[in-house]
Amino acid sequence: MTAIVPEALSFPTAFQRAQAGDHDAFAEMIGRHEAMVYSLAWNFFGDRSRAEEVAQDVFLQLYRSLATIESESHLLFWLRQVTSRRCIDQARRARFKLVSLDDAGEVAATPRAADPLLDRRLKSLIGDLPDVQRAVVTLRYQEDLDPAEICRIVGMPVNTVKSHLHRALQSLRRKLEKHP
Amino acid sequence: MNLEDDLRRTLRRESPAPGFAARVLERIDRAEVAPPVREHPGRTWRAVAASLTLTALLGGWGAHAVYERREGERAREQVLLALRLAGQKVRYAQGEVRTIGSSE
Repeated sequence: MTAIVPEALSFPTAFQRAQAGDHDAFAEMIGRHEAMVYSLAWNFFGDRSRAEEVAQDVFLQLYRSLATIESESHLLFWLRQVTSRRCIDQARRARFKLVSLDDAGEVAATPRAADPLLDRRLKSLIGDLPDVQRAVVTLRYQEDLDPAEICRIVGMPVNTVKSHLHRALQSLRRKLEKHP
Repeated sequence: MNLEDDLRRTLRRESPAPGFAARVLERIDRAEVAPPVREHPGRTWRAVAASLTLTALLGGWGAHAVYERREGERAREQVLLALRLAGQKVRYAQGEVRTIGSSE
């Protein structure tokens, strides 16, 4: 038998405690979502210190906005949206220097990489994509979101998102075929 | 080679350096951000009740003032009407007196 639990009841107590100003509970929340937020920034910028800074800023913004978060699913959406938009805005403002192959070496060292060289090459090619395409590709393949979900996060029509994805994949394929 | 699978693997989630949450909390403790303001439900209801009471008091006072003004205007109209009627009666009586005087 499956019990149906209303979302308000199943909502983690840590979240409610954090809303009341409990720092330990907020730390618990950070621990649950830090990999997602950090990776969105890391996969976008290809720079670990930059990703750390962006991720910290996002959680600081979350701390200020805790009272406006309504549920766990709203929290996930909020974190993805704020992180992605922050990445795009910062890249547009600063034209931040993207990953060098030396930085990407850290990725190659992770045990899950099936082909470290391809991983490194792809990381570099993703870094060359235009800002919005890079954000859309990251949301699609890191977070496994479909275009309908991505369009809500980046604030664009779904067809524009599909078009960005299509062009990004075309560009990556072309470059990989040219220099495998 | 499947590009989409490769992208999923390349763009997988990774954790930040250990101690990330502590670093965020340190920034919060350094008073970089104000604590979250969670509106207490009881406080909200008290504010609503106070607003309603004030509205009722002001509304009642306003309605009373309007009523008093209308009563005053009605009394004034009645006095003017009474004066108008009295004037007509006096004019009529004067006319009668003049008629009797001229016929004698």
